Amino acid sequence: MKSNTIVKGILYVALGLLVIISFIPFYMMIVNATRSNAEILQQGFTLLPGTALMDNYETLIQYMNLWRGFANSLFVAVMVTVLSSYFSALTAFGFAVYKFKGKNVLFVFMLLLMMVPGQLGLIGFYDLIRVMGLLDTYIPLIIPPIAAPFVVFFLRQYLMTVMHPSLLEAARIDGAGEIRIFHQIGFPMMMPAVATMAIFTFIGSWNNYILPLVVLFSPEKYTLPVMMGALRGSQVAENLGSMYLGIAISVVPIMVAFLFLSKYIISSISAGAVKE
Amino acid sequence: MKKVLSLSMVSMLALGVTTACGDDESAAGSENSGDREKLTIWSFTDELEEPIEIFEERHDVDIDLTIIPIEDYPTRLRPVLENGTGAPDIFTGELAFIKDWVEQDYWEDLSQEPYNAEELADDYIEYVFEMGRNSEGTLKALSWQTTPGGIFYRRSIAEEVLGTDDPEAIGERFSTMEGMFEVGEELKSAGYRLFPDEGAVRWFSQGQNPQPWVNENDELVLTEERKNHFDYAKELRDKDMTAFAPEWSPAWFAAMDGKINYNAGWDEVDEDASNEVEVFSYALPTWGLHSVLKINAEETAGDWAVTNAPTPYFWGGTWLGIYSGSDQKDLAWEFVKMMTHDEEFLTDWALDTGDVLAYLPVTEEIKDEFQDEFLAGQNNYKFFLEEAESIDPDTVTRYDQQIDAMFGSMVEDYVEGAKTKEEAIDEFYNLVRNAYPHIQVPNQ
Amino acid sequence: MKRLDKFGYIFIAPFFLVFITFTIYPILLTFYYSFTSYSGRGEAEFIGLANYARLLTDSYFYQAFYNTMYIWGINFFFQLGIALLLAILFSDIRLKMKGLGFFRAVFYLPNLITMASVALLFGILLGWHHGTINHLLLDLGIISQPINWLNDPTTARWSVGLIGAWMWFGHTFIILMAGISGISKDYFEAALIDGANRWQTLTRVTLPLLKPIMLYVLITSLIGGLQIFDLPMLITDGMGAPQGSLNTMVLYLYNQAFRFDNYGYAAAVAYGLFMITVLFSFITFKSMYRKNVKEG
Repeated sequence: MKSNTIVKGILYVALGLLVIISFIPFYMMIVNATRSNAEILQQGFTLLPGTALMDNYETLIQYMNLWRGFANSLFVAVMVTVLSSYFSALTAFGFAVYKFKGKNVLFVFMLLLMMVPGQLGLIGFYDLIRVMGLLDTYIPLIIPPIAAPFVVFFLRQYLMTVMHPSLLEAARIDGAGEIRIFHQIGFPMMMPAVATMAIFTFIGSWNNYILPLVVLFSPEKYTLPVMMGALRGSQVAENLGSMYLGIAISVVPIMVAFLFLSKYIISSISAGAVKE
Repeated sequence: MKKVLSLSMVSMLALGVTTACGDDESAAGSENSGDREKLTIWSFTDELEEPIEIFEERHDVDIDLTIIPIEDYPTRLRPVLENGTGAPDIFTGELAFIKDWVEQDYWEDLSQEPYNAEELADDYIEYVFEMGRNSEGTLKALSWQTTPGGIFYRRSIAEEVLGTDDPEAIGERFSTMEGMFEVGEELKSAGYRLFPDEGAVRWFSQGQNPQPWVNENDELVLTEERKNHFDYAKELRDKDMTAFAPEWSPAWFAAMDGKINYNAGWDEVDEDASNEVEVFSYALPTWGLHSVLKINAEETAGDWAVTNAPTPYFWGGTWLGIYSGSDQKDLAWEFVKMMTHDEEFLTDWALDTGDVLAYLPVTEEIKDEFQDEFLAGQNNYKFFLEEAESIDPDTVTRYDQQIDAMFGSMVEDYVEGAKTKEEAIDEFYNLVRNAYPHIQVPNQ
Repeated sequence: MKRLDKFGYIFIAPFFLVFITFTIYPILLTFYYSFTSYSGRGEAEFIGLANYARLLTDSYFYQAFYNTMYIWGINFFFQLGIALLLAILFSDIRLKMKGLGFFRAVFYLPNLITMASVALLFGILLGWHHGTINHLLLDLGIISQPINWLNDPTTARWSVGLIGAWMWFGHTFIILMAGISGISKDYFEAALIDGANRWQTLTRVTLPLLKPIMLYVLITSLIGGLQIFDLPMLITDGMGAPQGSLNTMVLYLYNQAFRFDNYGYAAAVAYGLFMITVLFSFITFKSMYRKNVKEG
């Protein structure tokens, strides 16, 4: 029994080391965000914060309004999440409840295209958006996610397991229309699955880099990841402290949000993986 | 269920916040457009900020300046200009891609009415004016500056190591590559570094025999002199004459203002008993003074001087033009005129920043009396105007930005020892052909 | 019932409208452009199979493929390896390790951070003479001179691969734990009663039961890995430096199209990438199918 305690001790030390590895880049980032360029260059690594936080902030904000990027990203991600959740639920309901000609063909077709890598149509997508005159707008970021095959697939599978046709029949006898049935019975029934998928959709949109990079041009419309990319070549890059601060601003709020939502996010991932 | 509810609450909140922001702005916007005209400008530097303030005061208008880092600037701006949505009224072009842009329809034709800019030709240094012209002779853009290069160095270090800080004498020592490396050796043994990095010497190899990267037959031209860049850079590295502070990196800027951390733990430097080095000089053109050095060198202000490089060279420059689809062309033209053709403004600008103008009525006026405190009272104007005479604009091509980058990375590979010179040159040809299939490269 | 079935079409109509416009049509348009020399402006000139002929002999494309697989290989090995070790550790009913919730959350954290920020962060942390990671390693005495991580092809690829593993091992760990909690406790207890030692429990019970979920991790990781873009784009110069070692397939596609205006050729690169993805998915699916048959 005693050897077990020793083994456990060693294991906890190893886990602690892994925790440090997971966290130390963020710690370096936060510490360096409070130090001046000269301190970072001359004094190297330290665990103690410096005093240049406000100077760094001023330099940063002079060239790049990261809060604007935050608002932009939030706007896009919320729109994408809402639209994608609603229309995916609608589509899943259509596939799960009704029998119609070509249903299976369409469903399989959708699943097949789920396997296609997102970058395959990038050139054509860019050209289409250009011809439509929608470059440098949020529409190419917000509208296409309405068609999210994977979310539809997941919701349909979920609906098949939880839905009882008798429930719908009862509603119909009460005189409810199909649209109303979806909103009052179908959608609430799918809600747990919708919420799981909404988290992935939100994170995916929030972190998306290549698409906004290709379609957005005006810096005031940049989403956060594109703004981070632009930071590299900007005058902010002359000052390491400001660079670190800029990165920290893009990272820390997410970490704080995770603090509150971690349990929910992790159980969503678990649920998503097992269902698939 | 509760969690879902709170999640949707968060979403609603977020939506509310962003739409509220949007409302604010549109309200402010409409207010502005009510009594003040609005002009938008896109550029790759912040140097227009002050002129914009002056212009806003003079004309009682609002100007919106959008700055995009230069490496992304052409790729970001081009689609906007192609489509017209959200396009600026005025946008700037840099030397490295101006040749491409004057050939497109992005910029308004300034030769025609009501601009008649051709009449202004005699007021400018010739090459600056001609650079804004396309192959059909149409004038598209104007500039206020000329951009010959030199070597900016620290006077106190020169005094200590070389026995003098006189620009003439230092220039004498820098007049050949051999001389430059000798200076580097002397600095090295005194614990200083000649340059911040190896990039500095690229101008001197091109300057020995200025040729465009791509000639009129779409053939890539790599002169023997350009190839010297490999050897010069290698020599700098091998003899440890640089501070390992790559151009435009934070260390590069920091080294302007004093010592920087060098080879922590590097065996060879242990005997120096110090991990810090100080950089002696930077190869920069005219604008390097006010938009790079003055901003980053506070402690060392007044300790600088400028002298000639081993060969004349020129680097960069900003041209201004009016977007052909702008609906504010008159106002935009006023701004371009102020920036490039307003004696009062340009005189103030030159005296204030030390920027070397291309506008002759002002340069004639101020060049003899000019002195800059940052350079301990040196007259950099006269020096640079003389250097400007050797600028050959025919060496500029539309490919410069990308091909310069490719060549630079191959030199880097050679210096690092990752490739032999022959391999690096071969790979350079492949890179160019891969990016621009229509260009003929020598190893094809 | 019949009269209601038209609602099926109504409910799925918005999806397919958007799907056809913004997914199917662009894919077909890209296919068309792959036979042209389209440069982003003016008309697209039809040039037949020239782009594909070039693709087959393009050493940069092969290099991009090699780099992508190299980086993904490192990434996947460490991502799955660490996650598996952790999962085995926490599922061991004799050890009864505590703090699963805490560790899971901390290990997952890097996965949530925007990849662009991660790339930027490591781009400066891994600096040569002035990078904080080198400073730390020097202070600890692990290295005696600063390493130019992002300037040597091997260390650069390893860096990007390990950053990927750092970002993803927590995610994989969660998925594996979900898989293990799906395994009935009875199996482990039965093994315990039968006197199976740790190694036997691991090889006879845990691993075989985890195989399907590991295949799932493999497929999603591979499809994601083939599309790696943000990290190599932002950690060095965006062109694949050092020495083209971070030039991945999607980065190559992006640069050909949006940096050099070779849209036609970039379209062919996209289809090259697609063919490779199909091939890999096919191989993986096939092995999974055979597995299922055996189990059934």
